Amino acid sequence: MPELASLGAERAVAIYRTMVRVALCDQRIQQGLAAGDLQFQYYPAGGQEAIAATIMALLRPDDLAVTTYRVIHDIVAKGTPMREVMAEMYGKVTGTCKGKGGPMHLTAPDSGLMVTTGIVGAGAPIAAGLALAEMMQSKGQGAGRVTVCSFGDGAANIGAVHEALNLAAVWRLPVVFVCQNNLYAEYTSFAESTASESIAARASGYGMPGERCDGTDPAAIHEVAVRAIARARAGEGPTLLECVAPRLQGHAFGSDIAHMDQDTLARAKANAPLVTVRQRLIDEGLATEAQLASIESEAAAEVDDAQQFAVDSDPPDLSELDADVFADRADIPYSELPRDRAETPATGAVRQMTFGMAVNEAMAIALERDPSVFLLGEDIHDPAGGIVKATAGLSSRFGLDRVRPTPISEQAIVGAAIGASMRGMKPVAEIMVNDFAMVAMDQIANHAAKLRYMSGGRTTVPLTIRSLTAGNVGSFGAQHSQSLEAWFAHTPGLKIVAPSNAHDAKGLLLACIDDPDPCIQIEAMRCFFVPGDVPEGHYVVPLGKAAVRQTGEDITLVSYSWGMQEVHAAAAQLAESGASVEIIDLRTIVPLDYEALRASAHKTGRVLIVHPAVEFGGFGAELAARLQQDLFGTLKAPVGRYGAPYTSIPFAQNLEAAYFPDAAGVVERARALLEYR
Amino acid sequence: MARMTLKVPKGAVSMQHGTIVEWFVSAGDTVAVGQTIYAIETEKTTLEVESPFAGTITPIAETGQTLPIGAPVATVET
Repeated sequence: MPELASLGAERAVAIYRTMVRVALCDQRIQQGLAAGDLQFQYYPAGGQEAIAATIMALLRPDDLAVTTYRVIHDIVAKGTPMREVMAEMYGKVTGTCKGKGGPMHLTAPDSGLMVTTGIVGAGAPIAAGLALAEMMQSKGQGAGRVTVCSFGDGAANIGAVHEALNLAAVWRLPVVFVCQNNLYAEYTSFAESTASESIAARASGYGMPGERCDGTDPAAIHEVAVRAIARARAGEGPTLLECVAPRLQGHAFGSDIAHMDQDTLARAKANAPLVTVRQRLIDEGLATEAQLASIESEAAAEVDDAQQFAVDSDPPDLSELDADVFADRADIPYSELPRDRAETPATGAVRQMTFGMAVNEAMAIALERDPSVFLLGEDIHDPAGGIVKATAGLSSRFGLDRVRPTPISEQAIVGAAIGASMRGMKPVAEIMVNDFAMVAMDQIANHAAKLRYMSGGRTTVPLTIRSLTAGNVGSFGAQHSQSLEAWFAHTPGLKIVAPSNAHDAKGLLLACIDDPDPCIQIEAMRCFFVPGDVPEGHYVVPLGKAAVRQTGEDITLVSYSWGMQEVHAAAAQLAESGASVEIIDLRTIVPLDYEALRASAHKTGRVLIVHPAVEFGGFGAELAARLQQDLFGTLKAPVGRYGAPYTSIPFAQNLEAAYFPDAAGVVERARALLEYR
Repeated sequence: MARMTLKVPKGAVSMQHGTIVEWFVSAGDTVAVGQTIYAIETEKTTLEVESPFAGTITPIAETGQTLPIGAPVATVET
C-alpha cells in the first residue's frame, strides 16, 4: 500500500476531512430515517467515501461532475454546501433543488454537480455532452474543465454506459469515467452480473486507458486519478477508472443484507476507509490525534447546523408545483396565462423549395447566426448529408466540429445533446427515424424532459431533436413509420412540433433552436419532398400557435404533420357537396394552441381530429375529451377522431394503404358528423 | 437531556405499515447508537431497527401491534 505521505500532509488531511464530513452527513441522514423523521429511499455510500474525497480534491471548483443516486459522498466532496444538501433531503425550499429533486436527484451546478440521476448508467451520455460543450467552447485554449462521471459496477453493464464510453473515446472528450465498484449491483453480486474480472479491463476495447485501484485507499486512488484528470485536461481524451470499495451496508437504508457475503462484509467493516485512513495519518505522522479530533468535531458541528437549517426551512410553496416544467409556465397545456405568440415576420423574398430544403436552410441559418448551435446525428455529414439529405452541404460549409457525425448510438446522441445544452450550447440532434427515439427514450423522457424540474430550475436543457417519420410512403413497415407524438406529449417537459409544410418546417425549427426548453420536431417523409413557399432569411413560427388554414361554418377538421394533406384533400371534396369546412393545423402539440381549437369548435359545433398515429390512446383522444368537457352543451355532434387502427404498421402496400387515415376516410367521418342529429 | 421520539421508519420500497414482532430492549434500558432495539415486519421483509440515539429507552408500541409509517414506537431520553 503506498504511503499517504505521497499526497503531502495537507492534501491527505484534507481528504480525510472530506471523508469525515461525508460519513457524518450520511450517518445523520440514516439516523433521521431510523427515527422515522425522514421517510424516503436512501442509498448510503458507506465504504466509498475515499473515492469521492480523493477525486474531487483533485478537481477545480469549476470542473463538472455527474453521478448517480448513491450520491452523498460525491455531492459533499464536490463542495456543495451541506445546508443545501440536508435541506433537499428534508424536501425544503432551501435545498439544492428547492425540494423538487430529493435525495436521488441532487443537483448543484454552482459546485459543478450537474446531474444526479436515479436511472442506472444514464449519467454517462450526459457527462459526454458536458465534456463536449467544454471541448467545443475551449477550442484551442486548452486546460478547460474536466467532467467526472461516477457510476456503480451495476451501471457498467447497461447500454447507455457503453454508448457513452465509445462516443467519448471517438471524440476524445475531456471526461473521466469513474466506476465505483462496491461489489454489488443492488442485490446481485459483481460475480453474478459480470463475467470479466475487471471493469477497467474493458477500457482497451473502447480505445482508452483503464486503471483499477483500491477504492478504500486515497493514495491508490490519487495515483490513477491524477493521470486521468491530467489526460482529460490536456485534451488527450477520456479514461476509465475502476475504484474497488466494498459496500459496508445493504443496497438501501433498511434493506436486508442476506445477499451479501457476511465474512467479506465483516472484513470490509473492520477495514472501513474512515478508520484505516485515520490510523494511517497518525502512523505516518501526517496529523496528530488532536488535529483529527478537531476535524471530526468541526464536521459534527457542520452537520448539526445543516440539519437544524433544514428543519427550520420552509417547504416549497405550492406555486412551485407547476414551476420549472418549462421556462414559461404559460407553455403548460391549457394554461390560461398569457403567452407572447407574436411571429417574427418573414421579410425575405419568397421562393419555392421542398420541406426538406427548408429544414436544411433553417439549420444553415442557425449555424451561421449563433456559434453555440451545432448538429449531431448518424450519417449527417457529407457526402451522405443525412439519409434524406436534410443536412447536405452543412458539414462542408461549417466543418465537422459543428456538424458531427455520430456512431449509431441514440442514447449517446441525445445524452450528448442534453449535456452540451446544459452548458450553453444549442445542439440540434437528429434521430434518423422517429421509431429509433424509443432507444433513447430514457434520455428524452427521464432526463431532457425532467432535468429542469428535478433541479428546481437550476439546470436547463435547451436542445432540439429532429426526427423523421416515414409513415405512408410505402415499404418501411412497422419500425420506421410510426408517429410518436402522443408518447412524447405524455411526458411533461417536452415541446413537440409537427409541421405540415415547408414554411412552417423552417420557421418552427428556428423557433425550437432558440427555445429554452427541449423541443422535438417531427418531420414526415410524406411532407419532405413537397415544395412550398419559403421566405429567405431568418424568421420564426412561434411554438404554440395553430394556423387556421381555411375558415368555415359547418365543421372543423383538425390535424398536423402529414395528416394535413389528407385533411386538405377531404375538405375540397366536402366543399363540392356544399359543406363549409374550417381547417386547423395545430403545428405544435406542446405548447398547445387550445384556444384556437376551442374557438373553432364553439363556432362550428362539429370537430373531427385526424392523425396518422394509432387512434387508441392517441393525441386526438386528449383533444376530444377536453373539447367535450368544455363545450358539452354547445357541440352539435360528439367530437370525432380518426387515427390508425390498433395494429402494427404493415408492409404490403394494400395493407399499408388500408392502415393509414386517408382523405376518403376523413370525408366519410366528416359527413357522419354533419348528418348527426 | 432531550426526549427523542422514534417513529416507524420507511424501511422498504413498498412499506406502508409494519408489525412489531420483537423488542430486544425493555423500558429503562440504556441503548447505544446502532444497537438493534426492535424488529418490525412488513409485507416483504423484517427490518431490525437500530437505535439512532444513545440514552434510556421507553417502548411505546407493543409486540404484535401493526402501525403505519411515522407512528411512535419508543422514546429515548438522551
